Amino acid sequence: MMSDQDPVVGIDLGTTNSVVATVRDGVPRVIPNRSGQPLTPSVVAVAKNGKPLVGSLAKRQAITNAENTVYAAKRLIGRRWGSKEVEDARRVLPYELVAGPEGNDIRVMLGGRPVSVAEISSQVLAELKADAEAWFGGPVTRAVITVPAYFNDGQRQATKDAGRIAGLEVLRIINEPTSAALAYGFGKKLEKKVVVFDLGGGTFDVSVLDIGQSVYDVVAVGGDTYLGGEDFDRRIMDWLTFNFAKENGGVDLRQDKMALQRLRDASERAKCELSGTPTADIHLPFLAAAGEGKAALHLTKQLSRDKLEELTKDLVERCIAVTEKTLKDAGVRPNQVDEVILVGGMTRMPRVQRAVRDYFGKEPCKGVHPDEVVALGAAIQAQALAAPAAQGGEVLLLDVTPQNLGIMVVGGYFQTIIPRNTTVPTNQTHLFTTVQENQTSVRIAVLQGESDKATDNELLGEFVLAGIRPARRGEVAIEITFDISADGIVGVSARDVDTGQEQSINVTATSGLTEDELKRIIDAHLDDQLEKKQSSADLERARARVAATVDEIEGLVPAVQKALERSRFGRDAVQKAEGVLARARLAQEGKDTDELASVAEALDRTLQLFKGLAATPPDGA
Amino acid sequence: MATAQELVEQGIRAYVEGRLDDARRLLEEALQADPGNARARSYLLLLPGGLLSGTPTRPSRTVPAAAAPAATARATPVAFPAALATPLPFVSAPTPPDPDPDPNPDPAPLPPAPATPHEPAVADFAPSPWDDGPASAPSILLGAEGGLDLDAVAETSDLRTLVPRAGRPSTPQEDVAIWMTAAKDLLSLGDFSGSLEMIEKILKLDPEHAEARDYLAQNESTLVAMYESKLGPLGKVPRLAIKPEEIMWLNLDHRAGFLLSQIDGTVDYENLFALSGLPRLDTARILAALLADEVISA
Repeated sequence: MMSDQDPVVGIDLGTTNSVVATVRDGVPRVIPNRSGQPLTPSVVAVAKNGKPLVGSLAKRQAITNAENTVYAAKRLIGRRWGSKEVEDARRVLPYELVAGPEGNDIRVMLGGRPVSVAEISSQVLAELKADAEAWFGGPVTRAVITVPAYFNDGQRQATKDAGRIAGLEVLRIINEPTSAALAYGFGKKLEKKVVVFDLGGGTFDVSVLDIGQSVYDVVAVGGDTYLGGEDFDRRIMDWLTFNFAKENGGVDLRQDKMALQRLRDASERAKCELSGTPTADIHLPFLAAAGEGKAALHLTKQLSRDKLEELTKDLVERCIAVTEKTLKDAGVRPNQVDEVILVGGMTRMPRVQRAVRDYFGKEPCKGVHPDEVVALGAAIQAQALAAPAAQGGEVLLLDVTPQNLGIMVVGGYFQTIIPRNTTVPTNQTHLFTTVQENQTSVRIAVLQGESDKATDNELLGEFVLAGIRPARRGEVAIEITFDISADGIVGVSARDVDTGQEQSINVTATSGLTEDELKRIIDAHLDDQLEKKQSSADLERARARVAATVDEIEGLVPAVQKALERSRFGRDAVQKAEGVLARARLAQEGKDTDELASVAEALDRTLQLFKGLAATPPDGA
Repeated sequence: MATAQELVEQGIRAYVEGRLDDARRLLEEALQADPGNARARSYLLLLPGGLLSGTPTRPSRTVPAAAAPAATARATPVAFPAALATPLPFVSAPTPPDPDPDPNPDPAPLPPAPATPHEPAVADFAPSPWDDGPASAPSILLGAEGGLDLDAVAETSDLRTLVPRAGRPSTPQEDVAIWMTAAKDLLSLGDFSGSLEMIEKILKLDPEHAEARDYLAQNESTLVAMYESKLGPLGKVPRLAIKPEEIMWLNLDHRAGFLLSQIDGTVDYENLFALSGLPRLDTARILAALLADEVISA
């Protein structure tokens, strides 16, 4: 049983990078990963030598091992096979996607086997969990995870499933813009209209929030799911590649994966550096082969901030154009916005900040690190959920429906029954009628989404109500009821009011994984964890045994030396023991349990010899 | 006074550069200083004539030890795996020491003499005007662009470009051929590390040398173990041991350049094997070379 004192964390599970945070002593703070970095790349891979990699190591071989490196899994999570988003992703992703066994969800081919997207995301979450456990020095089992405001129930459920696979109880899924606003503490102040400008590594999201009295209403969402920091990196890469070819007789670095990997890493570094300095030097020695018998070629180039801004001018303009459209659709003028929150590492670029300031006519909020703000908000919410009595006036968000729920009506339109942001559990009833003379059946398509056009929304399920009383069109009353339980199960029923004829359906948000499949994956994951812990425990035990024997031998050395002074035998015993000790020290640094066992045996023999020598009486020889 | 080890290294250098007489002299001096030096003995076996009578001999046949190659002499000493510490069996038996050497010894089964055994001497070159007496100050003629007009100098004086009369410096291709032969011979003598040293020299000159790469492939598991033993525990995190600006002055190929770029003080050897994307042998070979050359440390 988990106590309120067990640590809880907030996780920003991003498209490109993920961050884990917590609240300690009342202060929200980011937990660095085991390499000391606040950000962990959301990348999972199986290296060419078969080793599974997660995070920065996986990212560092993403180009050289593109077919087995999965990034941007967030674009796929909870999506259906054949959907427009999945087809778009398939065109640009270098790794292979296949349909799941049911044919309606997606699997990623990784290391030669199909893996569900939830499993991929779970590996990133497991890495963050392990980082948090290393930081806390104990288990971490509860978390709040953030998702984009536009995620539907299926995508949210898939994210929850990923958490379950990683061994986390997902206390709540909250919207990223809401989380960012929470981190700034806007919920405690007066009513505000806030824009969250989130330019991340792979996506751009802009959200308009109406905040007041603990209500965070995301009133408009816009963005471009293929615009982010990686596009800026690519511009630098193209510039470097072009100049390199010009200076080196047409050598095309794009043909060399190793060179491309280094170019990408260097481009990203230079871009980040240019947010703080006017110029960045790029040195890539021995970057490419120059041909048989010739020395490898170096790349040395200086990139200025002005040049970077020139190279990426259109990308920044695209961000502002998307923002303009989103505000226009929401009927909000820039000067009506009270605050603008910058989220995502790319918003540190001075040109982006200038563009935002020029558009809104005010300085954006910069108090919280843009890379960390979403995770910090999630941590605040996690703390509020875990210890509600202890929260110091923190906002406790309620579980709400993320998007409108409704049915398809005549003309292919979408009729909302339960609007977005309705607190669950809830139920709503609407009356409909027939569209044709003597119509005896009606098809009910249950949908979720924000579009007025039914086909643009997600189809959750459908059923037919038959046996309707024949009558003139418009005379029959059909009652449609939506009932959402506390568990998020949506029950939809249709009833002919006159005849009492009724038909219903239960819709549960699904990630594409069946419960059996999910259980099997969780069990396999637990077995893996157990095996790792077991081998880690074995290693520690072997090291401890070696360390104890080494200490004992070293403790006996003075007595042995004294005994040897009066003995004709074993004069080289200390010298030989030193050899064994040197081997033991080397083995202790390694992870080879067999070598540790072998060294332990040699140490035991030495120890017995030393004990014998040390115990030799003064007259013995 | 050079130590036996230094003499052996000088001897090996002379051997691979084709100065076989120097090689013999240096290796024999090494054996005088240290009669049990296995390395000197194994290289002497490679020379035409093998171990001569003047060389101190041992009562039993010598099996060269799998010692660290000269190029890695500065590396931190590490223990070889037990399997490698065991003397490897002879593939072909070496010629036993001959107490009365034949002035024209049968080279079999020793390797054929290198293609460029002859070290050029002064006599090999065309006569110089200085040979007959002190030089008088030559007149200096300037060309149209202000530089020395060599053609005019040649016409108005006896100065000619020095041309070897016989023999010539070895070409890289010839070096590669010598090293490949030496690698095979050392392997047959059980000197894995010495053999590997030759292969490394070849790959440094020609990273795609097919025969050298075949050799590596055939002996992969043993070689990987050997290279890894030079790295020490694979959980160690290597770091750059030189200044970043000095990297430019190294002699690396682009694959070594890539691997070096991944060494940032956060990734251990085991993960470098995963990151590199190269075959394990190549990664181990490059890392061992970087460590031996003190480009990285762990």
